[in-house]
Amino acid sequence: MEKGKHIDFRDQIARNKRNSVFLLILVFLVLIGIGWIIGKAINVDFFIFMTIFSLISIFYIWITYYFSSQIALASVGAVVADKTKYRQFYNIVEGLTIGSGLPMPKLYIMNQEAINAFATGRNPKNSVVCVTSGAIAKLNKDELEGVLAHELTHIRNYDIRFVTITAVVVGLIEIIAQMFLRSMFYSSGNRDDNKGSAIFFIIGLVLAIIAPIIVKLVQLAISRRREYMADAGSVEITRYPSGLVGALEKIKKDSKPLKVNSSVAPMFISDPAKSRIFAIFQTHPPIDSRIQILKAM
Amino acid sequence: MAAILWVILILIALIVIIIISYFNRFAILVNRIENSASQIDVQLKKRADLVPNLIETVKGYAKHEKGIMTSVTNARKALLGAKTLNDKVKAGNQLQAALKSIIAIGENYPQLRASDNFKQLQEELASIEDKVAYARQFYNDSILEYDNLRSTFPGVFFANMFGRKELPYLKITEGERKVVKVKF
Repeated sequence: MEKGKHIDFRDQIARNKRNSVFLLILVFLVLIGIGWIIGKAINVDFFIFMTIFSLISIFYIWITYYFSSQIALASVGAVVADKTKYRQFYNIVEGLTIGSGLPMPKLYIMNQEAINAFATGRNPKNSVVCVTSGAIAKLNKDELEGVLAHELTHIRNYDIRFVTITAVVVGLIEIIAQMFLRSMFYSSGNRDDNKGSAIFFIIGLVLAIIAPIIVKLVQLAISRRREYMADAGSVEITRYPSGLVGALEKIKKDSKPLKVNSSVAPMFISDPAKSRIFAIFQTHPPIDSRIQILKAM
Repeated sequence: MAAILWVILILIALIVIIIISYFNRFAILVNRIENSASQIDVQLKKRADLVPNLIETVKGYAKHEKGIMTSVTNARKALLGAKTLNDKVKAGNQLQAALKSIIAIGENYPQLRASDNFKQLQEELASIEDKVAYARQFYNDSILEYDNLRSTFPGVFFANMFGRKELPYLKITEGERKVVKVKF
């Protein structure tokens, strides 16, 4: 925690927007790089291949930008929250949007016992807040309000855009690494494309090695500061730190881990994996220090 | 000579841009204040709309609680008749208090307490109370931001230039958030 360094949420918004653009450009360059290697490796017209590959890359980035939240929601198995069954969920978020001047997000539910929540989307107008059914059942109204205000702050700060794009990109890297590695096993040596498959294998190997490193870097980039800022923003909206403190204390005691893909882990209010072996892999600041800061507010 | 002319031109352009941006910031903030004031209005109206439904529900089970029914109906009338925002908020608080006593009375009737309609009204009432509090908070936050812009340099200069006057805060007299609660 950077003490004494005040960061306005407007700076954070600008930073998130800038980083999102950088990330998408980086993805484009990586894709073009991969295309270049494949184009050289296989025996086709290089120019035509690269044109097609570039178009596909642009299409992929377009999909990432507009549909990353749907992809993320689908990957964790979230469904739209029923308006009558989850009346209180809707009422709380409606109140919070009035208090913060944000547009109403879409509300989703994950059918899991662990207490957790996340927000996603590309901007406040196209945003989603999702909580687990465990959070609805185990948290009282003030606690749930604190958690939901935390998520709304992620929406206001545009954390959602950057984090969701990151999650999809990390997922893509994992898929590509798998594809290249498997192409080695499935293309048998009876054709004379040994040169090609060898290159594929090397790319796959390199990706398989660098993918976790990239994931780690991304998690560090996502930084704990975002969580601290969202905690502070939550209190700014609710004016009631005890709500979020209560929720974090329940999350701390809750032993149920949340089963989700590691690429979406940074999106959640607390780390879905309850414990990690190496502190450097931690996507979230320690709950105790978050509680301590909230109590001092 | 030409260089000086350019410098003057750029300076003028800069000044025009600054004036426009301050004009717009004031306009946006005033719009936000008006919008949040109407949001308070919307929520108070919703609370008033809850009354007939609640009375209808309670009547079926608790016929002889006439006194409280009339006080709620009167509070509702006062709210619908209020003109200024401060009066509306005040009338809204009175209505809230009256509605709470109805809910409290309802608790004494097990059948009523168990009815889905009553539970729903309880939840609705609690949520409207929160929303009114949030709407008031956002209104005051917006006023604060407007005041800050109006009273700091160079905003103070532009505020005078555009004739942006002080706007009133909402005084919170009673019914502060989370003080009293409808029991579940």
